[in-house]
Amino acid sequence: MGVDLKPILPSFPIKVSDLSDKVVAVDAFNTIYQFLSTIRGYTGEPLTNNKGEITSHLSGLFYRNINFLIENIKLVYIFDGKPHQLKYQEIERRRQVKTQAFEKYQEALSEGKFEDAKKYGQATSTITDKIVQDSKKILNLLGIQYIQATSEGEATAAKLTKNDVAFVCASQDYDSLLFGAKRLIRNLTISGKRKLPNRNVYINVEPEMILYDDVIKTTKLTHEQLIDVGILVGTDFNPGGFQGIGPKTALKLIIENGKLENIEKIKTALEEIPYHEIREIFLNVLENDDDIKGLEFKFDKPDHDEIIKFLCDEMSFSKERVTTALERLEKVSEQKNQSLEKWFG
Amino acid sequence: MVFQLRTKSPDEWKAVTSAISTLVDEATFEATVDGVSFRGMDPSHVALIDIFWPNSAFDRYECDKLIKFGVRIDEFSKLIKRAEKKDSIEIDITDDSMLQMKIFNGYKKEYKMRLIESISSSTPLPKLTFNSKIILSTTAFDRILSDVQVLSEYVTIETRPKNIRFLGKGDSGEADILLDSESEGLEELICNEESKSTYSIDYLLKIIKAVGGSGGAISAEYSSKMPLRLEFKVANIGRIHFYLAPRVQD
Repeated sequence: MGVDLKPILPSFPIKVSDLSDKVVAVDAFNTIYQFLSTIRGYTGEPLTNNKGEITSHLSGLFYRNINFLIENIKLVYIFDGKPHQLKYQEIERRRQVKTQAFEKYQEALSEGKFEDAKKYGQATSTITDKIVQDSKKILNLLGIQYIQATSEGEATAAKLTKNDVAFVCASQDYDSLLFGAKRLIRNLTISGKRKLPNRNVYINVEPEMILYDDVIKTTKLTHEQLIDVGILVGTDFNPGGFQGIGPKTALKLIIENGKLENIEKIKTALEEIPYHEIREIFLNVLENDDDIKGLEFKFDKPDHDEIIKFLCDEMSFSKERVTTALERLEKVSEQKNQSLEKWFG
Repeated sequence: MVFQLRTKSPDEWKAVTSAISTLVDEATFEATVDGVSFRGMDPSHVALIDIFWPNSAFDRYECDKLIKFGVRIDEFSKLIKRAEKKDSIEIDITDDSMLQMKIFNGYKKEYKMRLIESISSSTPLPKLTFNSKIILSTTAFDRILSDVQVLSEYVTIETRPKNIRFLGKGDSGEADILLDSESEGLEELICNEESKSTYSIDYLLKIIKAVGGSGGAISAEYSSKMPLRLEFKVANIGRIHFYLAPRVQD
């Protein structure tokens, strides 16, 4: 659960093809988690191979990325490093949520309530070391870069856009904006028809772009104040935020009071929170740039034969579908039309 | 706001709309006191169209300030196509949401069409210098590209001071077409520096078929490994330029 600022941030829809030729820094854990929870069967069970190993993430990483590669988008997946010590509370909370969801999932299954089972099943996804290894392997075979962040992946993604190494960060969470990312794209890896939770309604999810400069211009906040709004709503470092304060109230409070310390009604609650330290985490993101120093991106062609071996032989994917997807990409990458933008100067 | 355009025939509108429709579904035109212009790229940013249609080319041109109007290009051209060769067309915009089109023939046809939201961002032009220029008749250009397309999806254009070659290479074989000053259809050849570059035939043929029919010769300018610019001469339209990015050569 990253910080939720959706109602107060300006965004606009964009097309996947608009990202052609651009470097996109993808929040790997966030994306893998989305795949693990959405790519599931009728009763909420994840996809597995014939040995029972989970393969939902591989399906997402393979088929989705093929579509991006067809558009000639240059993807860089960023894996979280060691979490900041302030994040342990949030990590513990997530673990508990999953344990509870798993119990409810099994209960629903045994009672034959498949709708419920699917709902709870989605919340049980855990990213194991094996899942991370397999994810890195498929990215590698697809010729997609990945990097290991020193700490928070979203911080590293933000750094890449600040240094103009990447054009945009891709994540469902807004945290990278608090880290000062120039651009954030949401719904990139999940665009398409989606079922609304608990309802039999489908909506069309489209990628949307949020620009840091737009955020600052429309909210009239400074970077520090934007972080304060985030802390009020709740970040990974102070999950839950403050009781009764949602994004709109948070924005209003900071506009009226300037900063956290000046808000009368949260004075006591604020003492419990290491807000100075949280601000530092978001503000001083460029202080440590070891993980992106001297980074050179190399985008290879997918290794057709090895992908078949891995996905079809080891992971029980349909050979026909995988081959069709690969051939679609191979056909496009043969025609290497450049973009005129190179000459805009 | 005053905005009224009248042309003696639908030909120019037909050329303009069919050119634009090869790249995009929706188009934003911009009109000023001086004339009407359009500039836009296809979604993959491989090709760009740049049109300027001066006020002097119109039978009647009234526009007192900058106005932008967006249309769905297929809907717009459907209306234009309802005009016959000798019909004059009048276009009015009186408020922001509707465009009015009158077609004068034996009787007066009047259409109203909903405008769409116009795009505010402006497309820049690529900064280029051209070392080679050829002028070919539309028929010759169309034929040569179709000849190469039999074997290849792209064409390599190689210009030398005395001749020009169109080369194509596909899975099943190669095509090689040579033109010199004696060749039919080649109207002009200027080569300041030998140039060789490769372009997608699909993009070229589409635009040539769309606009070429209403024009005479097409001029093509480029330099090695640089974008190509086609210029179409269509009746009174000041400028129809088509830019195409080269392909990466292996």
